[in-house]
Amino acid sequence: MRRIVLFIAAAAFAFGGAHAFTLTVATTADAVSLTTHATNDQPSARVMKQIYDTLIVQTEELELEPGLAESWTQIDELTWEFNIRPGVVFHNGDPLTAADVAFTLNSLRNPEIAAPGAFILGFVEDVVVVDDLTVRVLTSAPFAPILAHLSHTATSVLNERVVTEAGEDYGTEVVVGTGPFRFVSWEIASQIVLERNPDWWGGEVLPERVVFRPIVEPSVRAIEVEAGAVDIAYGLELSPRDAMRARANPDLTMAETPTLSTTYVGFNAQKAPFDDVRVRQAINHAVDVEPMIDAILEGFGTAARGPISDMVFGANLDLEPYEYDPELARELLAEAGYPDGFSAMVWTNENPIRIQIAEIMQAQLAEVGINVDVQVLEWSTYLADTAAGAHDMFILGWVSVTGDADYGLYALFHSTQFGTAGNRTFWSHPRVDELLDLGRTEADPQVREAYYFEAQEIIAEEAPWVFLYLLLEVNALQNNVTGFVPHPAGHHRLYNVNKN
Amino acid sequence: MLKYIFRRIILLIPILLGVTVIVFGIMFMTPGDPAILMLGENAPQAELEALRERLGLDQPAYVQYGLWLGRAVQLDFGRSIRSGRPVTREISARLPATLELALLATLLAIAVGVPLGVLSATRPNTAVDHAATVAAFGGLAMPVFWQGLILILLFALVLGWLPPSGRLGGWQYYVLPTITLGTSAIAAITRMTRATMLETLSQDYVRTARSKGLPERSIVYRHALRNALIPVVTVIGLQFGQLLSGAVITETIFSWPGIGRLAVDSIRAKDFPTVQGAVMVFAVMYAVVNLFTDVLYAYLDPRLKTRYS
Repeated sequence: MRRIVLFIAAAAFAFGGAHAFTLTVATTADAVSLTTHATNDQPSARVMKQIYDTLIVQTEELELEPGLAESWTQIDELTWEFNIRPGVVFHNGDPLTAADVAFTLNSLRNPEIAAPGAFILGFVEDVVVVDDLTVRVLTSAPFAPILAHLSHTATSVLNERVVTEAGEDYGTEVVVGTGPFRFVSWEIASQIVLERNPDWWGGEVLPERVVFRPIVEPSVRAIEVEAGAVDIAYGLELSPRDAMRARANPDLTMAETPTLSTTYVGFNAQKAPFDDVRVRQAINHAVDVEPMIDAILEGFGTAARGPISDMVFGANLDLEPYEYDPELARELLAEAGYPDGFSAMVWTNENPIRIQIAEIMQAQLAEVGINVDVQVLEWSTYLADTAAGAHDMFILGWVSVTGDADYGLYALFHSTQFGTAGNRTFWSHPRVDELLDLGRTEADPQVREAYYFEAQEIIAEEAPWVFLYLLLEVNALQNNVTGFVPHPAGHHRLYNVNKN
Repeated sequence: MLKYIFRRIILLIPILLGVTVIVFGIMFMTPGDPAILMLGENAPQAELEALRERLGLDQPAYVQYGLWLGRAVQLDFGRSIRSGRPVTREISARLPATLELALLATLLAIAVGVPLGVLSATRPNTAVDHAATVAAFGGLAMPVFWQGLILILLFALVLGWLPPSGRLGGWQYYVLPTITLGTSAIAAITRMTRATMLETLSQDYVRTARSKGLPERSIVYRHALRNALIPVVTVIGLQFGQLLSGAVITETIFSWPGIGRLAVDSIRAKDFPTVQGAVMVFAVMYAVVNLFTDVLYAYLDPRLKTRYS
């Protein structure tokens, strides 16, 4: 018996060749669940990205390409038709049909399921099956960024039969997709093991196995990769010192990418003195972002010129960042009727980087006479109180997950989005409302861009935020790992990664 | 004795009930909404309400508690709000990791702490005693996260002898977390052993033993230590209870899939069913360890036995 096993192992080694390797990834936290019905968090999305496919694929350059949908046509303003790639099979052998796609998109929107990612499909009126390999998506209003939304991991295509049969066990015990890797096992808080799907429609899958290990402490993640215990460590920017050390290590290769996330200080634009645009501009001039990036982020970030990351479709790259000019800030404050400054509060949650930013801001604003008190709030209280408008100023980030300006602007600056929906500054502008509505419905990308450019100019001028910085994501790889290209949205594809 | 144990077990019921009421009350009164935490900062109102309804959060507090309790007495602790897994599965997946680590850390603490304490007590105010005292205070004062990271740096990165973190099978994964978790217990046990040994060694019967010309080794280990250990057992029991529920930092640093981290993560996510389940487990473990300590105490000190009958 032992001989047979040895023989099989030797044969596997001989024929499997260089590709029979396991890729071990240190990720920032354990997945919550592996179904889009239950969660929309980043650590889960990072695993789901390997197991599932979406109708549209968003590349690392944020280009939109055919995924499970081979082609699509817009039939009228409110109707899109998608042709499903023929011959795709789920990991359990079931063929992928239009019914699975309709089930996926309709169940995600089903209020009874209350999926955390339902808002991604907020524009959808209904999804109907035309034939075995064709579905139609009906929207409630014209919705231009539809393809970007259908590339989001929250819309990962599920197998209707399996999801229905597994019931509440789907996503933790039973997980079936069409993606490059299939689910093998999940040791809670310890590791998730996936193995190659040899029948993947997208081409050859290089790693034989992928193991995700949740390692919550960024310093320990860095040590894991430095000690050679893992092949890739994600998210080292969360501890910039460790990221610096990893960068200096000759045994490691860094894979850094700008993210779709903007960090900002939001004002309460309906509360004095922040209801005065001059005060908001003065604070933008009084805050110097560069020392924050150097001292706190160790350089792993770039100053934001406006509200959205440079990589997002529709980002206005002609915006000039606010110049650091305390003199001008004092003048603006005097004009607004605050020659001696005022006292205010800045809130942050228990994020060490944000706390340090608040402290530097405190020192910088003191120079123009604004006396700032820093308060650290527990996360859920923080979200609830900023949504209720109880704040003066708060520090928060926003990730334009779909890579489209609609996602990065609408929820944050439209007057219908006050509070929980995203606009926690309670700032609004009729022209910006109009432009954001137009951008959402206009089909021509160039015209859309023009709308978004104008909206961003007004937002930058009106300054409902202090535009702080765009964070870099820092991943470290062993030198023998090749082919890893980080995705700006953070869920990196691993099928093409090789280990020599 | 059996009657006593039985009484203690019955007493556990009101204690557990009280614990669940307090935990529920705290969870209910602290601000924050699990629905917002799950759906994120940008969830539309209608979706928040749908989720609250699905989770039963739209019910009054006493109804929510009543429903939970009704199921809990049938050992159905519900499903985690966060992951959708049964709470019993969440806990049973992690309890072994916590128990292993607490047990190993306690054994380490006894194996190092008791001999060190004896060594100190038998050579009071010598260099050995001072060194042990300094080491013990150092162990108590050292922050766990710092010690853990230093150990990882040294043994995983610089020397490359042990894996940095995780619990992936193999004894190597146990060494650093056990030392990190056990350090403060070593210190506590060393100090306690030293103090009680010093007291015991000045007792009349020890002097009698010495005057009879018994060898020192026999005096220390056969006569004095047995008696000195009685209060030490209490400390060990208390330490073990603490290690069971207080290993959050060690678990986080070493990516150890234990129940402490589960409890903290669930509190953050306001995952009420999981928090209740975890706290119940802590309460039961604490109570059982206390009971066991008391019984052991009676066994070690026959004078106490009469009180329990």
